[in-house]
Amino acid sequence: MSTKSGRKVIWGHLILLTVITGVVVAYLLDARGVSLRTNNLLLVQPAAILAFVLAAFVLPGIFPRADAAEEAETEGETRGDLVRVFILIAALAGLAFSLEVVGFDIATFAFMVIGLAVCGERRWWANLLFSAVFTVVLIYGYGTITPFPFPLTIL
Amino acid sequence: MIELNSVSGAFTLLSSDINAWLYLLPGLAIGLVFGAMPGISITMAMAFALPATLYMEFLPAIVFLTAIYTGAGFGGSVPAVLMGIPGTSSAVATTFDGYPMARKGQHSEALGIALASSVIGCLASYVMLFVLIVPISGVVLKLGPLEMFAVAVWGMLLLGSLAGTQMSRGLLAGTFGVLLGTVGMNTAGFVRGTIGIPWLLDGVPQIPAMMGLLAASQLIGLINTTYLIEDEGSRNISFAKILGGVRQAFRYPTIIFRGSLIGVIIGAIPGVGSSISNLLSYSETKRNAADGDTFGQGNPKGVIAAEAANSSSEGGAMATMLALGIPGGGATAILLAAFAMHNIVGGPSFIAHNKDIVYAVIFSNFAQAVLLFFVGLGFVYVAGYVVRVPLRFLIPSVLVVSTFGAYAIEGSSAGPITLWVFSVLGWAMVRYGYPVAAAVVGLLLGSLLEGNLLRTNQISGGDFIGYGLERPWALVIFALMLGSILLQVISKRRRVKQAALAAAQTG
Repeated sequence: MSTKSGRKVIWGHLILLTVITGVVVAYLLDARGVSLRTNNLLLVQPAAILAFVLAAFVLPGIFPRADAAEEAETEGETRGDLVRVFILIAALAGLAFSLEVVGFDIATFAFMVIGLAVCGERRWWANLLFSAVFTVVLIYGYGTITPFPFPLTIL
Repeated sequence: MIELNSVSGAFTLLSSDINAWLYLLPGLAIGLVFGAMPGISITMAMAFALPATLYMEFLPAIVFLTAIYTGAGFGGSVPAVLMGIPGTSSAVATTFDGYPMARKGQHSEALGIALASSVIGCLASYVMLFVLIVPISGVVLKLGPLEMFAVAVWGMLLLGSLAGTQMSRGLLAGTFGVLLGTVGMNTAGFVRGTIGIPWLLDGVPQIPAMMGLLAASQLIGLINTTYLIEDEGSRNISFAKILGGVRQAFRYPTIIFRGSLIGVIIGAIPGVGSSISNLLSYSETKRNAADGDTFGQGNPKGVIAAEAANSSSEGGAMATMLALGIPGGGATAILLAAFAMHNIVGGPSFIAHNKDIVYAVIFSNFAQAVLLFFVGLGFVYVAGYVVRVPLRFLIPSVLVVSTFGAYAIEGSSAGPITLWVFSVLGWAMVRYGYPVAAAVVGLLLGSLLEGNLLRTNQISGGDFIGYGLERPWALVIFALMLGSILLQVISKRRRVKQAALAAAQTG
């Protein structure tokens, strides 16, 4: 990951900053596309410009010297740890996007099984039992106090 | 200021109606339980109980609902301390130091501090309400968009104190939050940044976004940890330590008083309320504290400041609701709905003709605050056991509960999807040293800032300075803001001088 000039690249941080500035650029262009009137851009445009200036200040931190102690927070983290984080994030995405499609009961149970396994529960029977009981209790418990009905498939 | 005849009438009302007292305990218990659940807001808890008040007398109905209000106000702080999840938007600042305290094994103390500060803050706010309800209502009517903008700007100053060591990253996070807070249709009718998604017309759903940024992101980051508190010995729940936390809160009367005052004043402004007062109180306390550098790392003063302000906002919001009939937020809107259910119209005529009922509501809230202390002690003791649950069970369970809460708020997948997007964003921000709290503050204040800036621009015709000079209350708010910044600079210089002197003496 080191460049020729003895600097390294914090790729994750670079992706994050790209996403933040990308969203700001897209938002500013969209807002300007809607209207150039003061009532539309009074806060959005100055705030977006400020965000670009601040992003420019952050940028050097993404290319620290190879011997710099910066970004030490990721030290000690293995590739396996990161993979587990990404699996959990993917499972949470699956839960969020599938709740209304497959039903809260199936989506919740599936997420719990994957989540428990990823978080380190090795006993398959404990995983399945806890996931099933938790799903039932949550759906009936939360369901009674929330104003919106949860779409269900089995329960 | 206080009408003694009405006070005596209030005592007669309360002593002749046993029902008014019977509903206190269930109201507080319902509020605590609902408030502690992520995604169940104070408003939702009160809305859930509203139909039950239809067949009650007027006073017991209002007492029941305000008891839920009080209970839920503190209930939101319990998950904020234990898991870093603000149960309600008014508990955001509680997470800043409450959660680090819990991670250090000081969860019992943090809960005790939060409880005591809430109780004292609530009591103080109702004492102020009792004395000041008439003058407060006069001031609130004079507040326009410029004053609201000034308050929001004051809230934004918090970004500076939340920025941590990497100022540019903190300010970028805050500015990004403000921009996201303005997504959707603004008050002038322009629609921006919705990328064709209909539910973004109303803006980014704030509570799911907040839960994702503050809580879910933390939980994802804890995947390689076994318990919230690493040290096994520190996981015990101690009643003595909770009481120790209560005593600790009493050592900082100035912080509690300042928090209560900020809470009452900001809480009285319609549309601003407790979600800003806790942040303002936190930032002012951090500015004035000698150990301001340790805020965010588990400083009990941060918890006291946040809790005193968010619980006292209830008194301020009640002042506006009772005196003017203007609901400052969802909770007071439900109280007004309860008024309507009993054929009573809130507002100046109500307070003019029914001062005894107003004072009776205030007195019952004194009792609620005292009772909250005892009910809350039992509640936090039981809730504290969450730190003994292994994270392999806690992480997926809390993520699912948060997802359900996000769905319950929005009534569609918009909530869970927002929660997921902001969880990933929050996780990445935490990983690379961006303070997510700054993004949350920006997100909360974005639309408020823009809306009031636009209204000020429209009223003033673009002449902000000329218009500002005609608004004494706006000038007062700006002067207070500048004063607080100046005081901070002076106290910082003094601290640096003292440290240099101490170093010279030891050297």
